Amino acid sequence: MKNEIQVGFVGNPNCGKTTLFNAYTGANLKVANWPGVTVEKKEGAFKYHDNRFKLVDLPGIYSLTSYTMEERLSREYILTSNVDVIVNVVDASSLERNLYLTLQLIELGKPVIMALNMMDIVEERGMEIDLHRLPEMLGIPVIPVSARKRTGLDILMHTVAHHKDKCIDHILEHHHANIADKFKGHKHEHHKDYPIVYSDEIEDKIDDLSELLINAYHEIYNVRWHAIKLLEMDKEILAKYPLYIHNIVQSSYEGEIINQKYDFIEEVIEEVLVNKSSKVALTDKADRILTHRFFGLPIFLLIMGFVFFFTFTIGDFIKSGLVVFLGAFSEFVLYLLQSVHAGTFITSLIVDGIIAGVGGILTFLPNIFILFLALAYLEDSGYMARVAYIMDNIMGKLGLSGRAFIPMLLGFGCTVPAIMASRSLENMKDRRRTILITPFMSCSARLPIYILFSQMFFGHMAMLVAYSMYLIGIIVAITVAFVMKDRSGKDHGNALLIELPEYKTPNQYTILIYVWEKVKDYLTKAGTTIFAASVIIWFILNFGPSGMVTDMSLSYGAIIGKALSPALAPAGLGMWQIVLALISGIAAKEVVVSSFSVLFQIGNITSPAGMTSLTQVLGQYGFGALNAYALMVFSLLYIPCAATIGVIQREMRSFKWTVITIAFQLGVAMLMATLVYQIGSLFIK
Amino acid sequence: MTLKSAKIGNIYTVKSIDLDMAAMRRLEALGLTGGTNIKILNRNNGGSVILMVRGSRLALGSKIADAIQMKEVS
Repeated sequence: MKNEIQVGFVGNPNCGKTTLFNAYTGANLKVANWPGVTVEKKEGAFKYHDNRFKLVDLPGIYSLTSYTMEERLSREYILTSNVDVIVNVVDASSLERNLYLTLQLIELGKPVIMALNMMDIVEERGMEIDLHRLPEMLGIPVIPVSARKRTGLDILMHTVAHHKDKCIDHILEHHHANIADKFKGHKHEHHKDYPIVYSDEIEDKIDDLSELLINAYHEIYNVRWHAIKLLEMDKEILAKYPLYIHNIVQSSYEGEIINQKYDFIEEVIEEVLVNKSSKVALTDKADRILTHRFFGLPIFLLIMGFVFFFTFTIGDFIKSGLVVFLGAFSEFVLYLLQSVHAGTFITSLIVDGIIAGVGGILTFLPNIFILFLALAYLEDSGYMARVAYIMDNIMGKLGLSGRAFIPMLLGFGCTVPAIMASRSLENMKDRRRTILITPFMSCSARLPIYILFSQMFFGHMAMLVAYSMYLIGIIVAITVAFVMKDRSGKDHGNALLIELPEYKTPNQYTILIYVWEKVKDYLTKAGTTIFAASVIIWFILNFGPSGMVTDMSLSYGAIIGKALSPALAPAGLGMWQIVLALISGIAAKEVVVSSFSVLFQIGNITSPAGMTSLTQVLGQYGFGALNAYALMVFSLLYIPCAATIGVIQREMRSFKWTVITIAFQLGVAMLMATLVYQIGSLFIK
Repeated sequence: MTLKSAKIGNIYTVKSIDLDMAAMRRLEALGLTGGTNIKILNRNNGGSVILMVRGSRLALGSKIADAIQMKEVS
């Protein structure tokens, strides 16, 4: 195991870092959370020649300050872990901005290699990058790659293997081409040692601070970087290396250092970017329509309309095939169990408990697959960031930044990553409000409930009814945000700050991996949470205080359900079976559906025959279309699933807030379902 | 003048940014340093602006846009 090389992938958001990372590791990822926090890093491993590579994908960042969590963690990782080489993934089409991070990485002192991505876009624009001059000025190898076309990958890893022990190995050549006057009489001739040399004033202070640092902390690695950070009065470094520096640094030089870095970047761009043609990029043409002040919003709504249309129609079409297969499978297992003379206990557990519960959930896989596919397309194409801008106006009226809409939109897929995405909001107050309303955005786990009940009770209106759930979710979210708006007037205006990346054709491979991860999650959930919940539900329904029961109404489950059912009676949901199904839904929302099939002993619940018999059974209890609608509204709004509660707790970092959030959502669900049922009852019947 | 009253298609030079330290440093890291030229690409009724700075596009909300002082490049 001598030859394992640890490679950290660092780059700006949207530079194609993850696509490049996936090109090496495929779907063989291990997603690891940073200890104590929920910023994800991904790890993957592969072999090439005689070396084993361990790749670590760090969060996308613009700089290495200590102002944001992602930046702090990335910096910490580079400084303290035993990473051998940093691969700095750079978007060539936005080289100038990307170089800022590059300079900071080089200053950190670990070996850095630049993977210059998206050269095709540069060429399309009729520009060229001088690949000979760029490494000369930066002192690091520059490897052109295409993450999408998967070219340059071998060369990059080859360079990594050869470069792992060297920091600056290129001969630095700095001519001060056009600005010779500015630096005339520069007494610090460091140009052979460091790519970026600051003004005399700053270099003097770096020298002084370096001396102090070395005297006080002999073991310190990369003194220059630490000295620069002290000069910037970086909180973390000041705390880590307490020194008396007030005679050298009276106020932070951070602004000055940033400016000089950009001055140097301008020099680099001046020399390496050839033929800066100002051809109007396709992106700008597309943006003229997609972010248009009047058309932007209708276009967005239309796109989302299409997404849901495909999710329902095509998803249902494939689902019907799966349902037939599941029916055959269930009968086959039943036949098998009978032929080996299995007892009724085990037969019932397997057929009525597990296959009915888990199998029913698996038939929704096509709908879920299509929904995530669509969301992946929106994200990878670069459109998602535009949505933040388009929605900024409306969100501003709710006292939130347009950026808060991205977690909400992701909430249509799964609430857990959506709540994690709220981390991009800097203000904790905004973050709490966003976390509070994100679960109201109807996630894909609730889809099975809508699909089943709308098809059972609303016939050809089914799709419209399911749509209405999404609308109700959005309206509730907006109302809550509006009611909770900070009206103190201090935080007037909104602080949206987001980069709009170049539009690109989504990469099939990236999308496939993204969707596969979601499908895998869904299958895992079916095999674990839903499986366990189905078994538990089966047990508490088949056992009672008197032992195994044949009449479910004497079971433990019925006792629990009956005790709580009065609370839901005003919402038309006062049946103990429904109460039990809703409680089980806290494990995962799909479990509501699987519980129905276990509760009413309907094998193939999503098949036409299964639905008809469930409708009939429910009808006997007086459960009609209005009750079904109230049930859907309740399922939409009530306590989120266990996984969501967990992530809320981690992100809110407050037990009190987590409890408040849960109680609040339960209250809203009771209120809305009751309103629907009571008002509806006035018109129907 | 501030970025909020900028016209689409015009090019301006950033003079100063008047925000809290963390927000200011973030903007600077994104390339919005004093003396930088920016081009206004789009804006909406709420005062949010899309601009091009150092080869990349940024969308800024009204609060940030209003805090960026600049002058027109003739």
